[in-house]
Amino acid sequence: MLKTPGWEMMIVWYFFLGGIAGGAYFTAAIADNFGGARDRQVARAGYVLSLPLVMACGVLLIADLGVPTRFLNMLRVLKFWDPMSIGAWVVGAFGMFSFVSSVLSFSTSARTDALRRKIGLVGIFFGFFLASYTGVLLSSSAQPFWSEARLMGALFLASGASTGMAAISLILFLTGASAGEGWGKVKKADRYSMVFELCVLAIFLALLGSAATPLTSGHFAPLFWGGLVGVGLIVPLLLDLVGHRVKTLAALSALLVLAGGFVLRYVVLMSIQS
Amino acid sequence: MARTLAMFTDTSLCIGCRACQVACKQWNELGMEVPEWTGTYQNHEHFTDKTFRLVRFIEEPKPTGDLAWLLMSDVCKHCAQAGCLDACPTGAIYRTEYGTVNISQDVCNGCRYCVSSCPFGVVAFNESTGTATKCTFCNDRIHNGLGPACAKACPTESIQFGFRDDLVAKAQKRVETLKAMGFKDAQLYGADAKGFLGGLNAFFLLLSRPGTYHLPENPKLPQRNVVVDSLLSIGSALIVGLGALLAFRDRGKGRDDA
Repeated sequence: MLKTPGWEMMIVWYFFLGGIAGGAYFTAAIADNFGGARDRQVARAGYVLSLPLVMACGVLLIADLGVPTRFLNMLRVLKFWDPMSIGAWVVGAFGMFSFVSSVLSFSTSARTDALRRKIGLVGIFFGFFLASYTGVLLSSSAQPFWSEARLMGALFLASGASTGMAAISLILFLTGASAGEGWGKVKKADRYSMVFELCVLAIFLALLGSAATPLTSGHFAPLFWGGLVGVGLIVPLLLDLVGHRVKTLAALSALLVLAGGFVLRYVVLMSIQS
Repeated sequence: MARTLAMFTDTSLCIGCRACQVACKQWNELGMEVPEWTGTYQNHEHFTDKTFRLVRFIEEPKPTGDLAWLLMSDVCKHCAQAGCLDACPTGAIYRTEYGTVNISQDVCNGCRYCVSSCPFGVVAFNESTGTATKCTFCNDRIHNGLGPACAKACPTESIQFGFRDDLVAKAQKRVETLKAMGFKDAQLYGADAKGFLGGLNAFFLLLSRPGTYHLPENPKLPQRNVVVDSLLSIGSALIVGLGALLAFRDRGKGRDDA
């Protein structure tokens, strides 16, 4: 007779936005360090996007506590084996990296460019952490559906990557920057992430077996299969394959990936809590 | 550390009077709740922020077709390896010198991670204070030489309080007696310090399988997954990173094959 924690919409949004923030940041840092000069737009979009998102994450986490000042109690301790404790610290640390990288992404000198790239190389780890630790946090609870596959972190990381990259491509599209080479590359990286996410999801379901029933059958199943697997992953991949020369279709595909990322967090949290 | 204190609940002696449940409510000033229909005399269905001791009324079908009452006064187990304690990000949940597990109400920040990390579903969230609550073993009483209110109130000594090693020895003898009397399924739950969760500081004598009492047969520490899932996440990060690297690497030719 387990109890669920009552982590509802605020936490769904936090998991979703935290995934995008982490994914956008590490994509930006990879583009910044290993891409060409023309991928600069990708890097800037990713860095700058991650900042408001991680700020929103902080607000959501604090608001969910009910009494905002109690957030400070988290800062009394640092428990390395506790995803919630270390996560609270990393949200703050990631915020700092996100801020510095965003500011430096407007630099015009080669020296600050080099500095930004180095900072990005360190920040990349915090980005990966932010995108995945929420899954590890669920894995180390007593709920069989959340914990038995031990792949929730890997799944959330893949989803953070696909949604972060989708968000970057959407920004490039909306700001009219989709003509550059960076757009094609970020779309390509996004496709890799989506294919990987589908693979992780399949292994996740196979490992869970009967513990996956909250997801695969029952009230939330149509949303899971239709909203995440169908509309959120397979349809965008097909759209990209068929119409990757048509930018509007590619942008639509990015939008669907974002919707799928939200559905993933929603069904994972709410299917055993409602 | 002082000698570990424990509660031994011998369900074979429980008469379902609920004196423990009432004593717990009175001493700990736990408020009234809207009752729930559970289909039996049991109320409530499960532990809440205002019910720390709960007498379970279980009806088990007998071979004859009749139902047998299985009565069990359930409580926080104060696990030697406690999922709630490991989950707590503020240090509000702590272990006392007697081996019990408490939640400091001043430090708890209401994140509710402990609620989802208890393998028994004991820890409950109090909406009005915004903090997590559970049985304290009557921390104030035991620090003043009194037993927990529930144990004190129990008229049949179904709930016994004392040093853990003494109680385990007593419990083992009691199981033998019951088995000799024909209670074939009599067994201890959580008495073995080498067993699950390092042993429970509130352990039980059951007359049937743990599942009959809605207890997990083999509860596990939730935190056992942290390392495995972290390593798999790192693997995931490497693959995703490699994908992005392949997509973004500068081939120097400006070729766009996306």
